[in-house]
Amino acid sequence: MCAKVQPAVISAGFCEHASKRSDVNMAELVNEAVEDTITKAGIEWKDIDCVINGNMPAFEGANIPELWMTDHMASKNKPFLRVTTGGTTGGSVTIAGYYAIASGMYETVLAIGFEQQSCGDTSMGLASVALGEFSIMPELGYEYNKIVSNMGAGAAIGIASYQAMSYMRRSRATEEDLARVVVQNRRNAAKNWYTHLKMPTVTIEDVLDTPYISFPLRYGMVCPATDGACAMLFTTEEKARQIADIPVYVNGVGSYSNESAVLAADCAGAGQVDPSEQLGAMKSAEVAYGQAGISFPNKEIDYAEVYAPFPNQELMWVERVGLFEENTAAEAYEQGITALNGELPINCSGGVNSTNAIGASAMERPAEAALQIMGKAGNQVPKTVHTALGHGWGGAVNLITHLVMSDEPQRKFKGGR
Amino acid sequence: MERIGIVGYHQVRPELDLQMSPYECIFTAVRGALDHAGLKRKDITTVISATNDYYDGKTISNCFKVSAGGAYMKDESKVEMDGAHAAQYAMFRILSQNHKLAMVYGFSMPSCMPFECTRILELDPTFDRPISLMNSYSTCGMQMRAYMKKYGVSEEQIAEATATNWKNAAKNPLALQEAQKADMTAAEVLKSDYLASPLRELMYPLLGDGCTALILAPEKQALKITDNPVWITGVGNCQETYYFGERDLTTSLSMEKASEAAYKMAGVKPSDIDVAELFGYTACEDIILAESAGLAEKGKGDSLVAKGCLNPSGGATSGMTPCATGLNRIIEAVKQLKGEAEEHQVSGVKKAIASGQIGFCAQNNIIYVLEGGN
Amino acid sequence: MPLDLEKMEGDIFTSKGMVKAEFTFWVGLAMDKFYDGTTDQKFIGTKCSKCGKVFLPPRNRCGDCFAKAEEFVDLPGTATLKNFTITPWKITERRAKKGNKNALVGLVQVDGADSAFMTEILNTTEDKLEEGMKLKVVWAKRIKGHPQDIAGFEPVGGA
Repeated sequence: MCAKVQPAVISAGFCEHASKRSDVNMAELVNEAVEDTITKAGIEWKDIDCVINGNMPAFEGANIPELWMTDHMASKNKPFLRVTTGGTTGGSVTIAGYYAIASGMYETVLAIGFEQQSCGDTSMGLASVALGEFSIMPELGYEYNKIVSNMGAGAAIGIASYQAMSYMRRSRATEEDLARVVVQNRRNAAKNWYTHLKMPTVTIEDVLDTPYISFPLRYGMVCPATDGACAMLFTTEEKARQIADIPVYVNGVGSYSNESAVLAADCAGAGQVDPSEQLGAMKSAEVAYGQAGISFPNKEIDYAEVYAPFPNQELMWVERVGLFEENTAAEAYEQGITALNGELPINCSGGVNSTNAIGASAMERPAEAALQIMGKAGNQVPKTVHTALGHGWGGAVNLITHLVMSDEPQRKFKGGR
Repeated sequence: MERIGIVGYHQVRPELDLQMSPYECIFTAVRGALDHAGLKRKDITTVISATNDYYDGKTISNCFKVSAGGAYMKDESKVEMDGAHAAQYAMFRILSQNHKLAMVYGFSMPSCMPFECTRILELDPTFDRPISLMNSYSTCGMQMRAYMKKYGVSEEQIAEATATNWKNAAKNPLALQEAQKADMTAAEVLKSDYLASPLRELMYPLLGDGCTALILAPEKQALKITDNPVWITGVGNCQETYYFGERDLTTSLSMEKASEAAYKMAGVKPSDIDVAELFGYTACEDIILAESAGLAEKGKGDSLVAKGCLNPSGGATSGMTPCATGLNRIIEAVKQLKGEAEEHQVSGVKKAIASGQIGFCAQNNIIYVLEGGN
Repeated sequence: MPLDLEKMEGDIFTSKGMVKAEFTFWVGLAMDKFYDGTTDQKFIGTKCSKCGKVFLPPRNRCGDCFAKAEEFVDLPGTATLKNFTITPWKITERRAKKGNKNALVGLVQVDGADSAFMTEILNTTEDKLEEGMKLKVVWAKRIKGHPQDIAGFEPVGGA
């Protein structure tokens, strides 16, 4: 399988991220990222044929906010599409940008992901993920008191700690291993200009010194809530060669959903028995690698950005997407393989663990991966990156997005298949 | 553009209070579309949904609908606009040659939510939203006043067109039962109370719970599945500015631009179009959209309704399901092209257009050019 | 966030109002200045640096040029009525209610501005409304830098 038109990324931009961007409103926040992207690419806003964007609507309390933000998104009188898939929104928007080019319908597409979480009530928004399910539980004979006390499980932290427990049991990873991931991320974030939690001197002891939020996850291990926006420009191979010094070709995409992991009580399906199993991630990875012609991801991929708000997830994802053997990720982190100057650097941008503007987070992963290939990343790895992976996770803890990017266009198989 | 075939579809008949769970409703539509095309779930390679978190009252609601929509372990995504926009994303995926069969569905249950209130959440939160004067009624009212004044169209003419819509809905077996008013007259429309003058209660559509699914396939695949698919030959999408005071309400800039793009892609002229299924909230908006799509001279659009070539199914008046109305329009156009529309069939339809919209007074319009025959 | 047991009637389980989330929107660079202006009972708009269009309520970006609109301009309290509607419906983000009284809602273009906004028309009757009529602003009794500082507009020279 290969796309009709080869899509390429020519630019990616960010706005300044912080826990409260109270100086700007949502539209102005997004505008910063859009302006950064367009200026870096060196094109005119009129050259953009189509705008695709998304955020997590229920977190800001604004329904389809793009409608009033049209003028700020360089999208007045242009084709427009809104794609939202929860935490993976950014990744899904990026994939939609890929397809808009691959279809041959549009030539230049601007993809935007944003979130201004300080406007809304994110934890409440996340708890309402589970509320629909909880409402059916009384009919199934559950006691009210128990439902209410379990409600915290609906939020991301609840799911993540289940996931952490099953991962740790399986892989024998320890709390120190989790803390090590956090330290690497936060120290990397200190070198990247736009990130939120910059901690250049944090140590494993510091992280393990913080109290538990939900065992085994401690306060110091958890991602922050950030205001921020990210934008990417997609175009065709021909046009990218004219505009960009090093165009980044998107060679494989996948976005597959497992059952929702939150609760199975809503009769929507069987649910995930083991939240660290991640069938969706394995399938997306398989498809994306297949499209990109990658047979040995652990050898062929030079750089990876994985979506891990919680450190246990980073260990889990790098194994599930085939970068490391099962249960060996913790060891690799200890040996420094994943550090900035390691063999396979991971999340040198600081990752979601340091900056989590939900609607933008999953877009910042492919955006950072693309910038590493271009050699323009905020925290650039010393080695040359040829092939990189941008990964996103979210939805009802079930949807995974994968983008495989390279400085070479997709290998074309001529003569049918 | 390579043409794309519509090979299967199913619409759950909207009801004011549908006695189904959301998942059941989606499953019914998706299963129905598969059966209609004679396919199995495993044949579908990609699924695109159109739902809205605010309409469902639940954060990330669309990710819970994965299994009901047949998207378990499929390459899928979700659009949070009208169903017609989801269909465009499905077209991207098919045209990219990564996918062979795409399922699109749009769903909402307005009986479980205050729809007009969720639209207030679309407003600029720094000014318009705290004031809360801008809403579906006041914007439609102003649009109608501006249109009537500029072209000297009388209230009776709009009422006449509205009555025709209600009567058309009576002929449409998939219309909301309460919207099937076979003996509606313009006089009765003009007797109803004002929502926002000159807009009256009977000029505004009824909301119904429902779900609509559509299966799209590339040309080669479509011809294998069915002998007479309907082809999408052109699509246009455009979003104009939000700022209400800067928009010309007597016309629709977004529809003008979108239809221009769609006609160019399909290589047709507006005069080639035999039937139009457009999503306007009111009969007045239907007319404005049809004029902007070049089907009639400005100010003369109501003749299209009288002729029966604009919204023969009744349009949004036949029951509006947010997120699914655009898909319903596509399906109605497909039926007209296939000659399956029974009572409301227009004779000799070769080319049709169908549209979807989102935003106040159709801020964003998406339009499809559909053609029948092999 | 207790579940409302009272709401359980027969087979129907209503989970109304279970989710209550408060939202606080930052007004941003341009609107911040606008609300500074309303506290002094005057309008402040922005001007596009390229095409010169004036926006009220202000925004820092012109949609047509995608150029910055960061120059603030003072605007008068007089305006023109562009469009209007008379509605008994009051719709907020929590509920939609039909009242007994009609509200006169106008699309008002402040003199010197190229954009218009919706506001209430006060101190006049339905039959006297007409597109193009001249209006002047009525400030609220208590000014607090809020959108509702603008109580509405009334016809110049009284009803």
